[in-house]
Amino acid sequence: MFKDLDPILHSQLRLAVMSLLISVKEAEFTFLKENTNATAGNLSVQIQKLKEVGYIEVIKQFKDNYPQTICKITSIGIKAFEEYVKNLQAYLTQK
Amino acid sequence: MEQEKKLTEQESLHLITMMINKAKESYHDTGIGAIMWGAVIAICSLVRLSEVHFAYRLPFDIYLLTLVAIIPQILLSIREKKERKVKSYDDPYLDYIWLGFGICIFLLIIICNNIFNEWGAWTNQYKPATGNGVSYGFYEFVGPLFLMLYGMPTFITGAACKFKPMLWGGIFCWICCIVAVYTSIKIDLLLTAASAILAWLVPGVIMEKEYRMYKKEQAQLNV
Repeated sequence: MFKDLDPILHSQLRLAVMSLLISVKEAEFTFLKENTNATAGNLSVQIQKLKEVGYIEVIKQFKDNYPQTICKITSIGIKAFEEYVKNLQAYLTQK
Repeated sequence: MEQEKKLTEQESLHLITMMINKAKESYHDTGIGAIMWGAVIAICSLVRLSEVHFAYRLPFDIYLLTLVAIIPQILLSIREKKERKVKSYDDPYLDYIWLGFGICIFLLIIICNNIFNEWGAWTNQYKPATGNGVSYGFYEFVGPLFLMLYGMPTFITGAACKFKPMLWGGIFCWICCIVAVYTSIKIDLLLTAASAILAWLVPGVIMEKEYRMYKKEQAQLNV
């Protein structure tokens, strides 16, 4: 019996963001934008969704008088990501 | 990238792998610090070697150059931290390892200077009392002590960042450390210069080249 894949993670841009954040301690919004090739608006919406479910933490601050957004994966996010990958592997091995 | 595009399981795994690789590739040190320290230590050792070999003395201690190099290093670190868009889990640990290394070098200099002073006073009394000179020279063992310390942060950084030139550079420092125990001070200085070049200068040049390539790729992607 397969578990359903987490709908929050099973979306292209959100999964890309989570995959980038799982490998680093924290990353700036511009880093995520450059590496996902997403538009700023689109990325903001998806980051907000990930934040609402507690998968990531968003820190807004100022750096040299410019606003700066930093994203960090949370322990809930790490657990959800690991579970997602495990389920994904289960699907693929059964196919 | 579209936000709500549903993926197949295969596409999901491919995307995860691709993004993790992208994140890994984003850790690029500029290499300028390594180039600077490699050059400074190599120059200091070679100048000291020429002083010993040609029996002359500069009006100042050439190793004071290392103190001068601390200023650009601090400025460089601040600039690199500001420019960095991503922080890895290793960053704070490596910063502390290099800071600890700097403190150990400073302490070793103080200890060696104290021993030299004591040793000098003792040998001055020894010769008139015994009529023989002292054949044992403590300064012969200073080089290996520094080489031992040079190897540690270099080896750890190379291993943590999976950067082989630095890992081998660290091992080279330790090999030179063993060799320097049995060689004269001139060879010790030559080994110190070679270690600085292989452990820091060469890896620094490789890092700088990779950093420039990464920046170029990023610029092309963002056009």
